[in-house]
Amino acid sequence: MKHSFACSSFHQASALTRRHVLKVGGLGLLGLTMNQLWAAEAKSKNQKTKMPAARAKSVIFLYQFGGPSHIDMFDMKPDAPEGIRSPHKPIQSNVPGIHVSERLPRVAKIMDKVTLIRSMHHTMKNHNSASYYALSGHEPPLDDIRLKDTLNLFPAYGSVVSRLAPSEGEMPTFVSYPYVIRDGSVTPGQHASFLGKVHDPFLFTQDPNSPNFGLPELSLPVDLPVERLEARRELQKMIDQQSRLLDYSAAAQGLDDYYQRALAMLNSTRMRDAFNISAEPEWLRDAYGRTTYGQSCLLARRLVEAGTKFVTVYFSDSIGGQSTTAGGWDTHGFNNTRMYPIVEKFHLPMTDQTLPTLLSDLDARGLLDTTLVVWMGEFGRTPKINANISRDHWPQCYTTLLAGGGVKRGFVYGESDKTGAYPTKDPVRPDDLAATMFYLLGIDPATEVPGLGNRPVAMSEGKPVMGVLA
Amino acid sequence: MSWRIGLSTILIGLLPALAGAEEISFRNDVMAVLSKAGCNAGACHGNKSGKAGFKLSLRGQDPDVDYLTLTRDTFARRTNPLEPDQSLILLKPTTAIAHEGGMRFARESQEYQILRSWIAAGTPPDSAATPRLASIAVSPAEQILVDPQKSTQIRVTATFSDGVQKDVSTLAVYEQATDLAKISHSGLVSRDRMGETTVVVRFLGMQQPVRLAFLPARPTFVWSNSRPANFIDEQIFAKLKSYRINPSKPCSDSEFVRRAYLDLLGILPTAQEAKSFVTDQSPDKRGRLVDELLNRPEFADFWALKWADLLRLEERALDKKGVTAFHRWIRQSIAENKPLDQFVREMIAARGSTYTNPAANFYRANREPVIRSEAIAQLFLGTRLQCAQCHNHPFDRWTQDDYYSWAAVFSRIDYKILENRRRDTNDKHEFIGEQVVYESREGSVKDPRTGKPSPARLLGTADTNFPDDQSRLDHLAAWLTSAENPLFAKSQANRIWFNLMGRGIVDPIDDFRATNPPSHPALLDALAKDFVDHGFDVRNLIRLIMNSQAYALSSEPNDTNLDDEINYSHILPRRLTAEQLLDAQHQVAGVPTNFNGYPEGIRASQVPGVQSERRRGPKNSAADRFLTIFGRPQRLLTCECERSGETTMNQAFALISGPEISQLLRSEENRLTSLLSSNQLPDQIITELYWTALSRPPASIELSESVKYLAESKEKRKALEDIAWALMNAKEFVLRK
Repeated sequence: MKHSFACSSFHQASALTRRHVLKVGGLGLLGLTMNQLWAAEAKSKNQKTKMPAARAKSVIFLYQFGGPSHIDMFDMKPDAPEGIRSPHKPIQSNVPGIHVSERLPRVAKIMDKVTLIRSMHHTMKNHNSASYYALSGHEPPLDDIRLKDTLNLFPAYGSVVSRLAPSEGEMPTFVSYPYVIRDGSVTPGQHASFLGKVHDPFLFTQDPNSPNFGLPELSLPVDLPVERLEARRELQKMIDQQSRLLDYSAAAQGLDDYYQRALAMLNSTRMRDAFNISAEPEWLRDAYGRTTYGQSCLLARRLVEAGTKFVTVYFSDSIGGQSTTAGGWDTHGFNNTRMYPIVEKFHLPMTDQTLPTLLSDLDARGLLDTTLVVWMGEFGRTPKINANISRDHWPQCYTTLLAGGGVKRGFVYGESDKTGAYPTKDPVRPDDLAATMFYLLGIDPATEVPGLGNRPVAMSEGKPVMGVLA
Repeated sequence: MSWRIGLSTILIGLLPALAGAEEISFRNDVMAVLSKAGCNAGACHGNKSGKAGFKLSLRGQDPDVDYLTLTRDTFARRTNPLEPDQSLILLKPTTAIAHEGGMRFARESQEYQILRSWIAAGTPPDSAATPRLASIAVSPAEQILVDPQKSTQIRVTATFSDGVQKDVSTLAVYEQATDLAKISHSGLVSRDRMGETTVVVRFLGMQQPVRLAFLPARPTFVWSNSRPANFIDEQIFAKLKSYRINPSKPCSDSEFVRRAYLDLLGILPTAQEAKSFVTDQSPDKRGRLVDELLNRPEFADFWALKWADLLRLEERALDKKGVTAFHRWIRQSIAENKPLDQFVREMIAARGSTYTNPAANFYRANREPVIRSEAIAQLFLGTRLQCAQCHNHPFDRWTQDDYYSWAAVFSRIDYKILENRRRDTNDKHEFIGEQVVYESREGSVKDPRTGKPSPARLLGTADTNFPDDQSRLDHLAAWLTSAENPLFAKSQANRIWFNLMGRGIVDPIDDFRATNPPSHPALLDALAKDFVDHGFDVRNLIRLIMNSQAYALSSEPNDTNLDDEINYSHILPRRLTAEQLLDAQHQVAGVPTNFNGYPEGIRASQVPGVQSERRRGPKNSAADRFLTIFGRPQRLLTCECERSGETTMNQAFALISGPEISQLLRSEENRLTSLLSSNQLPDQIITELYWTALSRPPASIELSESVKYLAESKEKRKALEDIAWALMNAKEFVLRK
């Protein structure tokens, strides 16, 4: 199917200015939430553009920090020589011809729900640069182990969604948790950057697996019951009335809109309910896994049900790779550790428990068709097993997994060569994957918004991978 | 098909400007069409990777390349001289075959005709004799349209090198940055709503702004006859009067004292200071207050903070010792009222150890030639060059040549790293230890287009003569800060104006260009001249601005100025900056601030640099997190834009029930404790709190309601906390009005 959308002139596109939006928000549309105002703005910006029809309502982005090994999970090369092929054996999945690692037996049973892209590639060898690429869909200016998180870098996907196609209703558009990831310094690509703080994710670092999981934003300090807060608000209103600022100042009106929303949230049911993970039956919580990652994925489903459009779950706070109890996928074998015992004990079983549960749960609830699940890391790992019987960074070829939200089921896109070293068919860059996500969400990937210094920048330079669409 | 030929013949007859096919010039006519139809726009084929396999130079900056693209690529299918109507360049934009970009022009259009004629003539290239565009003129350049007048026709005249003039109104491109008006294909501008707008007119490589104001008739308008206090008011009031806008009333003394303290010191007046100012009866008290505040140490603290943002005082690059030294140097320069040109000159020419000559930290933070050249252009010339790195600046005069030649000026700065005890060996941006900045004899910047070194040239000049016996940096610094360099004085005067008035006369303040004209050009010239005449005396300029009527207008609009946001007819309330807000909260609570690594009681606006938070090691304090939520910059970029004045949901949460405010209200050592134990009557307590927080007495209803709230409450302490919460959450507190 050929998609078609017109290039809209940038100056036409920026027709409704932010100040204007705030003004409108304050003066006339008191009933509207900021989300809706941004939506109105986005709509007016794109009135000249034919947007693709949205197939996905939401995205759950499961970020596998550290870089999982494609060749040991989803792109097994049993015929490659020893020293390259995985010590694990491939097993047949429930889709004829698609094999996965024997260490992922439950994943093997849900391959009929997913598309694998086995031809992902780029050239960034450092975690922060590669992760920024994976989290924003834009190639970083340099391959830098401590890439600086500056405002001229591109925003996280969820922030783009918040800007161009926000959630309707009271749920935040973009939620990310349970970590801010860093490798030596904070990894760029986790916030709204030049789109502005209003498009930052609703971010929390509390552990959804903790028995007393709750968000301070959604609960008041013990000495501040709702009645007391209401009394305070009345006193505040009295002073605001004296200054008359709310009658004429856009800044005052904008600020008060946020007070209303924040207070509504503190009082609200929908938001609090969505985060109330303890409402889930015990057996389902067990099925997801009683881990931070497992419960985070369960929470992602709840958020999507409540109307959040983009949920980013970080598998770990760090690149890890040296522990069987925490951390990411960066298994070099440093400090006399070894990759296989670690991933066998930690990463693979956790993935095998949580990922199939999430996809099956979404599917059973009829949510998978409208929810795109993306499972990916910043790169794959070297085809050649190193001196530590482990694998190093390999951005030249790796696999991502997509499910639902309008992508094919039981499908493999792209191919790698016989050692999993380079794509041999249909190569896909992170730019294209980003464009695919936006396209599925009904956002023209080429939409331009003012970047830092008002230079118009396209939200994606990639092309949607039309071959993965159902 | 015969009807087509007939139609074309008729059309040619209708377009006398295009007398015949042989006169079509690729550079002058075809290129104009590619821009007019939007083909070479950044979002379309002008994109750096083109669109659908067809790439044009952005906005037609490179006609020679575009000529080859159109005539040679894709087996010449784009232009087909044998069957001109079958050329892709005609079939696509008329959507005769599918075109992602949609319909760009009709078969009957002038655009079609020009392209077709050129193709039919065999796509001739231009000869050496083909005239070149020399200039464009727009009419009107400026116009005030008073209702019922709703529209105006822009006429664009192009003058070519052979002296020939042509009306190109139907081929020029019209763009505006607002949605105030609609602009037709041929330049008819029609009002959608009242206000001011700038239409940028572009033809081939040239641009001209057209400033338009759409005003209501206001037949009963009577000028308020506001009396100017100085030349600032003369300029501002003259424009307001011609726009039939009355300035708001003067602000109250309470508002003035609060404004003056926040703008100059970054803090609130104490209750006592506010009261004594308000009750002072002398007519010259405002001027005296300004003089007095300019000499307070907090003035140096607060204005040093503004420079500390822009000069990137953060510990990762400068280390703690460097940040401290650089901050002390900046603060001291302000405290002793060092002329601004000297301040900048010392920094731009700085060499030596970053510990013993702290000004050299500017280069320690800005370590690449293009980073330095962009930063200096933005900070000291109000010029954004970034666009010109990859292509000629689309809205300004800067070319890629300018960009790389200017960067080359900074190519010989180098560092002797005497010591680097960086804690993170992987982090090449981290430096801990002494460095010496020096000028090397070698060093160049390569122009990526040629692969050859660019000749060093001062921005916007032909000056490539860097004396051999003199340091390049000395030469640069002298030129940059010279009184004859118009952009320096203007951009710096505009920055000071912006810090006091909330909006630059050129806005954004680092974006001076013909297509972003000042709201008050003569005023900006006069301010710059005054600044130069007084030897770049910052305090003098501040005094001048703060003694104007314009500075001291109320924020409350009247019927005529409600919609005005750019003519300084009233003050636009703006959120306090992160540091102002945090310091104000602590001031009201009477509780010192706590930043890790600094002595207790240091105010947020006194903190020299951004600390680098580390994974292991002390976490940033709650005060630090508060500042981040309210948009304190990371100081990784040289841009005013890094500081955010936005309002967000997280800020509302922080103010409602965040850890900072909760702790301030609950603290045993706060002002509430001392007020409650002071034997004052409830109305005295309330009055004192209002003066402390809002610099004014409570209105009678505020007083009676608050006293009642206190009386009816079982726990006085908690009730007073509630009242203090309300004061610190009042719009009047959070916003500067």
